[in-house]
Amino acid sequence: MTTIAHLIKTFTLWEFVTAHWLTLKYFFKPKATINYPFEKNPLSPRFRGEHALRRYPNGEERCIACKLCEAVCPALAITIESEPRDDGSRRTTRYDIDMTKCIYCGFCQEACPVDAIVEGPNLEFATETREELLYDKAKLLDNGAKWERAIAANLAADAPYR
Amino acid sequence: MPKVTVDGLELEVPQGATVLQACEMAGKEIPRFCYHERLSIAGNCRMCLVEVAPGPPKPQASCALPATEGQIIRTDTPMVKKAREGVMEFLLINHPLDCPICDQGGECDLQDQSVAYGRGASRFEENKRAVTEKYMGPLVKTAMTRCIQCTRCVRFAEEVAGIEEVGAIGRGENMQITTYLEHAMQSELSGNVVDLCPVGALTAKPYAFEARPWELKKTPSIDVMDAVGTNIRLDSRGRAVLRALPRINDDVNEEWASDKTRHAVDGLTHRRLDKPYIRKDGKLVAAEWAEAFDAIKAHWNGAAAVLAGDQVDCETMFAARELAGTSMLEGRQTGLAYDTSSLSAVNFNTTITGIENADVILLIGSDLRREAPLVNTRIQKAIRKRKAKVFAIGPMTDLTYKVEWLGDDLSALTKAPKALADALKTAERPAIIVGGGALRYAGVHGAALALAKKFKLVRDDWNGFNVLHFAAARMGGLMLGYAHDGGIKKLAAAQPKLAFFLGADEVDYSLFAGSFKVYVGHHGDKGAHHADVILPGAAYSEKSGTYVNLEGRVQRGERAVFPPGDAREDWAIFRALSDVLGKRLPFDSLDALRAEMAKAVPALGVEGLADYGWSEPSLPSDVSGKIVDYPIKDFYLTNAICRASETMQKCSAELVHGTQYLEAAE
Amino acid sequence: MTSFFQTLGMSYEGAWFTATIAGILLIALPLMLAVALIIYAERKLWAAFALRRGPNVVGPFGVLQSFADGLKVFLQETIIPSASNRGLFLIAPIITFTVALMAWAVIPFADGVVLSNINVGLLYILAISSLGVYGVVIAGWASNSKYPFYSAMRAAAQMISYEVSIGFILICVVLWAGTFNVGGIVEGQRSHIFGFINAYAFNPLLFPIAVMFLISSMAETARAPFDLTEAESELVAGYQTEYSSMAFALFWLGEYANVLLMCALNVILFWGGYLPPVDWAPLYAVPGIIWFFVKILLMFFIFAWVKATVPRYRYDQLMRLGWKVFLPISLFWVFLVSGYLMFTGHFA
Repeated sequence: MTTIAHLIKTFTLWEFVTAHWLTLKYFFKPKATINYPFEKNPLSPRFRGEHALRRYPNGEERCIACKLCEAVCPALAITIESEPRDDGSRRTTRYDIDMTKCIYCGFCQEACPVDAIVEGPNLEFATETREELLYDKAKLLDNGAKWERAIAANLAADAPYR
Repeated sequence: MPKVTVDGLELEVPQGATVLQACEMAGKEIPRFCYHERLSIAGNCRMCLVEVAPGPPKPQASCALPATEGQIIRTDTPMVKKAREGVMEFLLINHPLDCPICDQGGECDLQDQSVAYGRGASRFEENKRAVTEKYMGPLVKTAMTRCIQCTRCVRFAEEVAGIEEVGAIGRGENMQITTYLEHAMQSELSGNVVDLCPVGALTAKPYAFEARPWELKKTPSIDVMDAVGTNIRLDSRGRAVLRALPRINDDVNEEWASDKTRHAVDGLTHRRLDKPYIRKDGKLVAAEWAEAFDAIKAHWNGAAAVLAGDQVDCETMFAARELAGTSMLEGRQTGLAYDTSSLSAVNFNTTITGIENADVILLIGSDLRREAPLVNTRIQKAIRKRKAKVFAIGPMTDLTYKVEWLGDDLSALTKAPKALADALKTAERPAIIVGGGALRYAGVHGAALALAKKFKLVRDDWNGFNVLHFAAARMGGLMLGYAHDGGIKKLAAAQPKLAFFLGADEVDYSLFAGSFKVYVGHHGDKGAHHADVILPGAAYSEKSGTYVNLEGRVQRGERAVFPPGDAREDWAIFRALSDVLGKRLPFDSLDALRAEMAKAVPALGVEGLADYGWSEPSLPSDVSGKIVDYPIKDFYLTNAICRASETMQKCSAELVHGTQYLEAAE
Repeated sequence: MTSFFQTLGMSYEGAWFTATIAGILLIALPLMLAVALIIYAERKLWAAFALRRGPNVVGPFGVLQSFADGLKVFLQETIIPSASNRGLFLIAPIITFTVALMAWAVIPFADGVVLSNINVGLLYILAISSLGVYGVVIAGWASNSKYPFYSAMRAAAQMISYEVSIGFILICVVLWAGTFNVGGIVEGQRSHIFGFINAYAFNPLLFPIAVMFLISSMAETARAPFDLTEAESELVAGYQTEYSSMAFALFWLGEYANVLLMCALNVILFWGGYLPPVDWAPLYAVPGIIWFFVKILLMFFIFAWVKATVPRYRYDQLMRLGWKVFLPISLFWVFLVSGYLMFTGHFA
């Protein structure tokens, strides 16, 4: 009996028919996703997006070239070169992040003793060319200027849990 | 031999050992800041606390406590741990938490040990102490707030460098380490205080903020700035050598290095020859390798003269020798022409460690402090350890220790003054050191040998006759036959059609006006200016090389980085050139070359002290005249690498020529 | 159309030539446009099956997405691997693309609206669609890279396997229609069932092979669930792995042109082509070309539906299905159909 039932099922493609019925039902269900570029999900303050180098409120850049982020970076995406600035303080002469290598693990911001390098809330930084994703210090500082308000708010929101 | 028990392990320690040493022998690690094996004991950091019975029921500083029979030492009790944690907390009270901007970060004793003994957070709520920076010269950068007053630098300056310019002023919290008058440290060894400093109070100024220790590739190498053959470690990142640090080798440099060794490395990236050049119409024009080789071929008649510079490795000299196929070889660039029939007669026979044991030392025209600073520290040690007496013939100069000057008249060699003669006669281990400056004068070599014979300086268990070279390539060159009879003048008189100059920058090129000059080297210095063809070679950091130091010690260094641009390793240049010239050299790899070289000169195949035996050539010993000066006028600018180095130029300006840098301490 | 150009004062030859060129353009250009839109439609359909939204940013409802993609691809750098066979590497996508367009020459879009009304139209289609595999095989070979090569081998074996059963299925249809002419086959379906349903598919004897043809055409175009030539978990992107820029785009265009062709064939062979579903006069008010397109779109919906539903076959399953199921059944069906037609005296 089962053999016959199996045969009938095979020749009528029963499994396929039911499967297609199932997918057809889903076809008419409401969408599960949001209408992305027009609607956006809320982001956690811990969201790890595009990198930024911050400055102090007085305009002095925070990064002190300690190179801990470079050391901790598991993807070896960060390259830093440093030398004494004219006033003798320790500063970077080069701070590059290869965003094509970066895996957005957030170790760099964890390692940073002065909250200079942070992964901000920006996730929309696709570029036309690959070269544009090789960020240099100017670009990162620029990001910092752009996103400082959001970054500072996020850091403040997360501070009690650190 | 007292017997002690360390953490239940019973062992015998040598007489006079400290408890700390006993613990080390038992394999226990004792944290320390002020204690250093090569310096006197200070006992002021208190980090090395251990529990010792019998004794008072409190932890004791192990570095200053002699090990005695029957002591029971515990290094792992809660009391010890708590005591050390207490010391650490006190040390950190005034130590700033600026590790991220501190150059010592990553190689800092305090940082490492606070991992084991530090508290998570500070209980100290007062303000930390702040100390103004002190100026210590162009090489040492200070951040005295970080200082933990271990006084290692003070003891080093006094005991090893022999300058009493660094010390502590003030008491208690106000104690500060300073150079008193805040001028540059007048020492060739000032860089060593940077290594000694357990924290980041003293760091290297030229290397400031350049790199972190974990970024660096570490390559063991041999220094070529002088003939001591300091064992160094080249720290490189990418294609640049960022710093040189001494490696520990008790037979050669202990754990010191001269400032030139340490800080000339920035010269390796400046004024480099990175492509071949050919002289066309009196001007050097960049060319391809093939063109350069063809230009040489046009002047090749089957033989060539080879003149080696001061920093060449044995492999290069051997390859050049094999290609040139003549006896027209010379390494003594400045025109010295001493007899080399017996290598032992031009060697530092006492050895660098041996000179520590000498009790009477006669320096003949030797400015040791500039010619071989690390040999100078050994003599310093001989004076401290064995109360050695030092006599010297030559113009007076400051050697950092007490010297009995016998004038600059060379006749003192043949008619020894009474003081000298008495001292040499009664000495157990007398030694004389003939400097390169004295060898310029005819007969000095013979006279010194005669003096050695007269006072029996060469005995069964002691050889007190020394010649002090100051070119890293010298002994290797002599072993490979780079010594033309009659010196460079006679060689030039033979008018070679083609002459190779291996990084030779001190040669009087006017002698070779008629020759086609090929310069194989790494820096665009004097040699390159006179050359007809320049073949860009590798500096010592860019090739694996064999070097023989002044005592005949064969040592090998490894390649740290690649040569810049089109430059190649020198031996490979000669190998490639040999194909063009139709005289194929029988080696295709460095190993094959070394095998060939070991076949030709067996001693160069074995690392370690080469045995030359002792044989005395009979030389004329009539001397007259005076030693006018010493060959090294400017310690910081003795070779092409130094001259290209900004740091060395700064040092020269400030320390030799006395320019005042009004650079306020940061 | 030739006569139209003749009325403009051209000679017959000139008019014929102009008309043919105009006909080709009239088919090829809208087809390209259709391909662009069909890609968009497919993405929207999959998205809907997966409860997603699909492209919705470029243009209203994202309709221009394909054109944006096309522009992007067009602006990209063409990378030709140094180890590749340069000439063949560049020719391969052109073959795929051209062949996909050529078959459309014999497709009737409405009664009499066909570029080339040849008697053996169906054979022509069979011949042209067999050529399509050359593009893939050449691409795989010329890339000089292992995954494209595996992919090309798979594609060759897969297409040959299913062409066999497709051939037998076509024979059944041809037997019933009595002609190889594509337009003739469509006309043969007029009032086929109960005198008013215009489709072979409702003929109980032909319905099973209609289903088989649908499945085979998916295999023939290497569509899911038979897209083993680009099984990304095994072969990266299959024969397209080394392709970029315009060459890649040509493959895509060719592939979708092929899919549309297969949809059109399904419609023509079994679902009445440009005829309305039932033979009822008011329905003829709607032009045949509209019926044809509506049917193609429905067929394409099924294609997309299957792709969104059925997981990819294993290669041995694919081969088993082709050789051990479809081949015997379709062969049997040739006997069945021809026997039935003999028996009922259809040819009499």
